[in-house]
Amino acid sequence: MSGMPHGMPGQQKLAIPGIKHIVAVASGKGGVGKSTVTVNLGMALKAQGHAVGLMDADIYGPSLPHMLGVSADDWDRSPEPVEKYGVKLMSMGLLIDPTQAAAMRGPMIHKYLQAFLTQFQWGQLDFLLIDMPPGTGDAQMSLAQLVPVTGAVVVTMPQEVSLAVVRRGLAMFQTVRVPVLGLIENMSYFVGDDGKRYDIFGKGGGARIAREAEIPFLGEIPIDPRVAELGDRGDPIVHASPDSPIAQAYLAIAERMKGELDRCSREVAPLPGLEL
Amino acid sequence: MSQVSRLLRPVQLRKDGEDALVIDWSDGHSSRHSWRELRRNCPCATCREEREKPPEPFRILKPSEIPRGPLRPLAVRPVGYYAYSIEWSDGHNTGIFTFDLLRALCECDACQGRRSIEQKGQGPTGLHSTKED
Repeated sequence: MSGMPHGMPGQQKLAIPGIKHIVAVASGKGGVGKSTVTVNLGMALKAQGHAVGLMDADIYGPSLPHMLGVSADDWDRSPEPVEKYGVKLMSMGLLIDPTQAAAMRGPMIHKYLQAFLTQFQWGQLDFLLIDMPPGTGDAQMSLAQLVPVTGAVVVTMPQEVSLAVVRRGLAMFQTVRVPVLGLIENMSYFVGDDGKRYDIFGKGGGARIAREAEIPFLGEIPIDPRVAELGDRGDPIVHASPDSPIAQAYLAIAERMKGELDRCSREVAPLPGLEL
Repeated sequence: MSQVSRLLRPVQLRKDGEDALVIDWSDGHSSRHSWRELRRNCPCATCREEREKPPEPFRILKPSEIPRGPLRPLAVRPVGYYAYSIEWSDGHNTGIFTFDLLRALCECDACQGRRSIEQKGQGPTGLHSTKED
């Protein structure tokens, strides 16, 4: 096959009534904090008064339930997503025991993503954020072909090795014409006890690549050791500490992202077809 | 990377008689595609491999490969925001024709003339060049 998930051509995009904007949160490589960004961006949008859902498309390594402090025991096998802190969630991590592995190939990934989107009652949502697995594989292609995504947010880190992979991720979104809402640079800098800014992984990489790729730069998120600590406790920092500089950074990024949605909505109008 | 501007998109698909498809694009161009050429240039992995293999003059067709009646298109459907798939009467539907490919396959006089000039000047520039081409 050509690398496309099997059985894809000939299928129309799924209609998902009730959801205003579907935003994919993606990165080229793993370990840049994409799931942390998804959860906290979701909490920021919720804090701004929006109805938010989070969908974990990382079938092999689901981490959103852990970050929100929910597990398979919290899902009652109903078609309702689990709700925590006023945000709805569906994840492979709610379907299987943490000791089990989701050993499956592309077509099954495709089916699970389709089921998460269509067989669960998300209700009325302003935003459904989809935490994508890293890379440019089956999950990404399935979503590009099936889901009416309004746009993608790409997460990176300041250093060159991360940025090189981001370029590939951006190229994939351009190829499949999913508009990129903007780039978020995570773990940008650390503010020490002396009040000074330390650019641990280098400076300005994210803004530079956004300029090069002609996409908006949505903002920098500083390093804060509490992010990991609170994440492990299942309480995202934007919820646990809304006045912290990092929560403020997420709120500003959420505002900028919303500003980009109108532009992208025009690019993703449905295409005409022809029945003969 | 897409060769076609990200804002360029089809606005209407229509039949041109029984033999061809016309796509009206947002830049005002109307690309013309005979169904025969679209099928001949199907970009799916199976068809691509078939085109690239050396011919096998003595190959015996399996019963499932023998066409039942003339081949015709049944539908042209969008794939995501970047391509179309064509469902054919023999059940084939795996080709994903990206906008880039469709523009490169346009058979209107202007596009064919431009491609012929480009090929004379720089050699083949097609996105999908095959041995057959």
